[in-house]
Amino acid sequence: MSGQLSLSDLDLPRRNGELAFDAPWQSRVFALAAAVVDYAFGGDREPFRQQLISAIAAEPDRPYWESWTAALEALVETLPEPPTS
Amino acid sequence: MSEDGHHPAAMSPVEQRVAVLEALLTERGLVPEGFIEEITRRYELEIGPMNGAKVVARAWIDPQYKQRLLAEGTAAIAELGFGGLEGDHMVVVENTAAVHNVIVCTLCSCYPWPVLGLPPAWYKDPPYRARMVREPRTLLAEMGCHLPEDVEIRVWDSSAEVRYLVLPQRPPGTEGMTEPELAGLVTRDSMIGVARL
Repeated sequence: MSGQLSLSDLDLPRRNGELAFDAPWQSRVFALAAAVVDYAFGGDREPFRQQLISAIAAEPDRPYWESWTAALEALVETLPEPPTS
Repeated sequence: MSEDGHHPAAMSPVEQRVAVLEALLTERGLVPEGFIEEITRRYELEIGPMNGAKVVARAWIDPQYKQRLLAEGTAAIAELGFGGLEGDHMVVVENTAAVHNVIVCTLCSCYPWPVLGLPPAWYKDPPYRARMVREPRTLLAEMGCHLPEDVEIRVWDSSAEVRYLVLPQRPPGTEGMTEPELAGLVTRDSMIGVARL
């Protein structure tokens, strides 16, 4: 988990005056969604996008990355259980 | 994770939820080693409006490239090496003296990541998403983009399939500038369509 430490310590660059991410957890949950899209859905972003639309519609004023987190949680619920070994 | 000195007690509820997600997905083998760090690094350092600015500058100096860009955005953008996440179906819309284009995603926050990076906070907020469709001229003026009444405003709502990029008008007086100099003039907001150059 040393990656977490180094990430949170990074001095993040700004783009047009705004940070791309406001906090390390936002970049992590962003990347986690990318991982699920890539490795659980074969690159198909639509299932995640539909969850994100629902999450934003459910609580329009909730901060964006929290809706993103809720969407990913809901999507993960739909994944088949891993085989037990 | 609790033993890495990351002060888990100070974690907010949402940070805890993300940590749970990360642990669960890692356990299921869906998060390759270093994946999070690599994605983050790319979006922090390599992917951003500077990519879109290069596309715009090339279109300004190379009429044939511009033609390809407007006809088949994804392929023309890929010529400059940009593609990937959220960039499968890129459509480039050109501003002219008579037409001003602006992009929005009313349902979530679809955005042309390969050329603009991650969307700014206001792009994701409900007021922008609702008002840019309902009253674009008023909202644009509030954002500092005052358009003459006779300029038609076209609002492009990103969908599941298509990501839009605005090709701003080349500013007057830039005829002698090089491509990198021109790219330096292009702002993120001008490629979203909430600013003119």
